[in-house]
Amino acid sequence: MGHRVQLTPSAGRLRRGLTEPLLPVCALALLAVACAALGATVLCWASVGALAGYSLSGSV
Amino acid sequence: MLFSPGWRGPARQGTVLSVFTLGLLLGGLLSGSVIWLLSGLSAPLPSPFRVGAILLVAVLGVLREAGLPAVGGIPLPQNARQIPPDVLQRRLFRGTLQFGFELGTGVRTYVSAAAPYVLALVLLLSHQSYPATALVGAAFGLGRALTATLTLLSRDPARDAAIALRMPWIRNFTALTALLSLTLLSR
Repeated sequence: MGHRVQLTPSAGRLRRGLTEPLLPVCALALLAVACAALGATVLCWASVGALAGYSLSGSV
Repeated sequence: MLFSPGWRGPARQGTVLSVFTLGLLLGGLLSGSVIWLLSGLSAPLPSPFRVGAILLVAVLGVLREAGLPAVGGIPLPQNARQIPPDVLQRRLFRGTLQFGFELGTGVRTYVSAAAPYVLALVLLLSHQSYPATALVGAAFGLGRALTATLTLLSRDPARDAAIALRMPWIRNFTALTALLSLTLLSR
């Protein structure tokens, strides 16, 4: 019973951390800049495209 | 709205998300295709002019998101209305597909960030190949799907508030990334 009480909040924190809204932005931004620096044009464009779509998160 | 229980009870949320993502992909592909067709009009423009215009557009995007009064007041052209909720309520999968498709086009509803405009203008001016432009359109749809996916995975009732709190950061970071990437690509 005691274990259950302790585990539930930490699992919630982990889930919240892994689904943090800023994480995809950081990952996609890094990918876009790295691809641009390496000359991988199409992948860079695709990363910026995904970022642009994600930037509309608050809109429906 | 998409994953609300009750009237969607019999359907698995993962299936709804898949159909929604497919709609977003198709909508993004359509917008990418239209942009590619129109981008042919910019092909005769001299390359230095196009590079300059692309960087100018990206800088304006950054300034707008930063709230610079001179640029921040410029209204973004948008179809400022929501997709009617009855689109989702008529038929489960067809409605979800249509909802995703309309969102994926990026022209059917509100567009609250400058990045999609920067992206569209830059694609128009740079006249990429069709596969590249279509891929960017599909990536735009997937970017929109990412929001719904993370919302479903988070199981957080306060998710909307968390996203709203971070939106200024997301928009600013996206605009800056676009500018930095385009600057690097134009070297």
